[in-house]
Amino acid sequence: MTETFDIVIVGAGITGCAIARQLARYDLSICVVEAANDIALGASKANGGLVHAGYDPAPGTVKAQVNARGCELYGTWAQELGFLFCRTGSMVLGFNDEDGAQLEQLRCNGLANGVPELSIVGPDRIHELEPRASADATCALWCPSTGFVDPFEVAIAALENAVANGVTFMRSAPVEAIEVAPGAGDGSGDGTARFTLVTPTGDVRCRYLINAAGNGAANISHMAGAEEFQMVWRQGNIVVLDKEPRALMPLYPVPTPVSKGVIVTGTVHGNTVITATAAVRDPGDTQTYAGDVNALLTGARKLVPDLDTRRVVSAFAGGRPVIQGTNDFFIGQSAVVPGLFQAAGIQSPGVASAPAIAERMEQVMRDAGVVLRERDDWNPIRRAPDDFDRAPLARKEELIESDPAWGQIVCRCETVPEAEIVAAIRRQPGAVSVEGVKRRCRAGMGRCQSGFCQSRVVAILTRELGCNPSEVLLEDAGSWLVEGPLKGVR
Amino acid sequence: MEEFKSSAIDCGVVEAVQTQAFDVVVIGGGPAGMAAALAAHKAGARVAIVEREQHLGGILRQCIHPGFGLSHFKQELTGPEYAQRFIDQVRATDITLFLDCMVIGIDSGEPTEDAAVHTVTLMSPASMLRLTGRAVILAMGCRERTRSEIKIPGSRPAGVFTAGLAQRYINIENLKPGSRAVILGSGDIGLIMARRCTLEGISVEGVYELMPYANGLRRNVKNCLDDFGIPLHLSTTVTRVIGHDRVEAVEVSRVDEHLAPIAGTERIVPCDTLLLSVGLIPENELSVAAGVELDPRTRGAVVDQSLQTGVSGIFACGNVLHVHDLADNVTTESERAGAAAAAWALDGGAGVGATGPGCQLTVSPAGIAGYALLGRITAVALTKLNFRVRRPVDAARVRILAGDEELFAGKVRPFKPSVMESFPLPAKVIQRALDLGVSEIVLSVDPVEEA
Repeated sequence: MTETFDIVIVGAGITGCAIARQLARYDLSICVVEAANDIALGASKANGGLVHAGYDPAPGTVKAQVNARGCELYGTWAQELGFLFCRTGSMVLGFNDEDGAQLEQLRCNGLANGVPELSIVGPDRIHELEPRASADATCALWCPSTGFVDPFEVAIAALENAVANGVTFMRSAPVEAIEVAPGAGDGSGDGTARFTLVTPTGDVRCRYLINAAGNGAANISHMAGAEEFQMVWRQGNIVVLDKEPRALMPLYPVPTPVSKGVIVTGTVHGNTVITATAAVRDPGDTQTYAGDVNALLTGARKLVPDLDTRRVVSAFAGGRPVIQGTNDFFIGQSAVVPGLFQAAGIQSPGVASAPAIAERMEQVMRDAGVVLRERDDWNPIRRAPDDFDRAPLARKEELIESDPAWGQIVCRCETVPEAEIVAAIRRQPGAVSVEGVKRRCRAGMGRCQSGFCQSRVVAILTRELGCNPSEVLLEDAGSWLVEGPLKGVR
Repeated sequence: MEEFKSSAIDCGVVEAVQTQAFDVVVIGGGPAGMAAALAAHKAGARVAIVEREQHLGGILRQCIHPGFGLSHFKQELTGPEYAQRFIDQVRATDITLFLDCMVIGIDSGEPTEDAAVHTVTLMSPASMLRLTGRAVILAMGCRERTRSEIKIPGSRPAGVFTAGLAQRYINIENLKPGSRAVILGSGDIGLIMARRCTLEGISVEGVYELMPYANGLRRNVKNCLDDFGIPLHLSTTVTRVIGHDRVEAVEVSRVDEHLAPIAGTERIVPCDTLLLSVGLIPENELSVAAGVELDPRTRGAVVDQSLQTGVSGIFACGNVLHVHDLADNVTTESERAGAAAAAWALDGGAGVGATGPGCQLTVSPAGIAGYALLGRITAVALTKLNFRVRRPVDAARVRILAGDEELFAGKVRPFKPSVMESFPLPAKVIQRALDLGVSEIVLSVDPVEEA
């Protein structure tokens, strides 16, 4: 069976989810097609969660525009979509006069990009803003608009809101081929679908195609006969440390030509994240490397000397989708295949830019003649699901009263009760794997890394999905956790 | 500007929450909690045990192998049997059990002199509850070190389990985690799991150990590896996990004397499962939130002779205090904590540790001693000190030092890191240190050159 939509968005990373959410307000049928079995499993998964302010992209680039604007939009998006966002401000620490000169340059860059309230501060102010910042720092670029989010939560919240507004989500549907019917591709005429996407889960047809496939964007463009992007897998390792009584303000070193360097930041959940190394590696390489992890820990201690780097909760890696030859994002209609809209090369700062990329995509489509008629029943609000750990005591009481499963703690490290896990599975789109549960409600995210709760989460998934334990996946297809019953056990 | 809100528990007053009063509230219903509760009960205290699982017994419930009880009961028992003896005793008393309940905070109020009462807030499937007690015993046990903490590089597929999680799958859930396993770490759980896997038809390709010696008890190396022909590869570690969705292999490498992998020694071992037995860490998040000071070496509380922490009326015992070698030793230690907590609760600490104003000594480790417990001595009395050595030696002696002066020297004998050593410190040594006017004594374990 082939379903037909006005728009198909390829990729349910933070970019695709944000675009889906942005376009869901219009009278259009939309489908998000995702190769993996869940949201944000590509570049969005291995991410530090920083909402960079936008002072470092080169002025005039697309990146510079969407980064600063994205950072600005996060406040509204967080309110409407019910995700956590902390606008703490950040500092780029300088340790000598040379760094000081670079910071001044960065400040000018930021001003050109429209980043508000940038200033250079000295040691006293540095200490006041973040007492744990290195005492060796002689100067810093203070940027009040920087913040951080949980990138999974943003992508999930955006897609949940889109789905609540009628968007279809098709998971485990890697695009294997794209057929493009001849035509103007401007959606005019009889409105017949121009694109047919072949996937193992079924084919989908659409009038307009949006390529938000992250590291797969070059392949999608190629399959559609459009621009030939050469992608570079600029791999980054990231380390998460255990929770602190107070989340650290994001602290950056002076950036290098290819990356922002090793950044230390608090997270919305109170952990500390050290992000990220940058090395060109084989496409698809998500391995962590001893050298990278050590570089992160060493770099972090330079910014925050009292950081207890023994308390590593998790280390992981991902690839930034970089288009070779440009450091910029490509957001626009394909010059080769009209009707195909590209959001390609969305490397860092993709998370920070996501709301603005969506806004820009909307504008690009409108300019291309796509009819965007507002629906009168669009609901911009997504109510955040109950987060037991963060709920005030009175709310906890209420929840337990409503259902004893709220009082049954499954994940002790993050205080996640059974009812919250069940809710994560039943949400639309819900979790279908152990990691999917973790990304939605943090069960297994803590210091024991699911050592205590994994078997209980598996049991809940088994019950909710109506499957056998051997069919429960850690993440995507093939990631089985247990082989089956022991011999002699029926 | 959005304000950062920590997830710290809002301990504000909620009138609806029911409060029950006890003398001693024990947090944790494993071997430590049960032994402590029984001892406190025996001393006449009204006792509550809070346990997050639906059953008492803690991790012993999944330790179905024998080897428990040899010293405490003079009889070899399995973990569940050992636990059951205590469960039966607890059930025979009026100790109040709060099962399926998780403590979310301990509030000790203002640190006033005698009237200090601790309030333990917990959640149950029925409701939130508050328990008050003059004394609280921390007996939450420990957790396993994870892959991330030891920073094993490589991919992150399914099939990497801590040994305890695999033990739970096999012994509690009746599920087979894989077919072909590699075990990293020769700690006791790793050794026990090597045998357990083999018995369940899971082929164990080998046990790999970073150190040049086995970390588990000698008897476990023999009974679990040697008897089953499972190879133990010393000075070798896993340097890469391979496999995208499920573990397909691990890369192992030999390490040099600084424990750094030696380039060129890499070897690929095909497997679908990697079990980690790479250490245990006391679970003290609750303790820290309650203001208890930790020893960075043990990662457990700093305690005095009565196993009282730096917060008056809060005691600690078992693996939450320091990682023990045998459950029997947990029991013995916890009985002491229970008795001391009851004494504190019932007569305000008179007689508990007899905190003389003149006696305040800290104890530090030196030489090859990895830690020294107790961290604090507050009474002139025969005192049991525990420690572990960091590496095995054939000949060494325990020395107690105060400044430059040697107060005591023990017999020369071998020491192993797998054994939790117990050393009786005579009262006269403590008195001598006080006479010298020092504030610290050092427990040093020093290798002796053999003649």
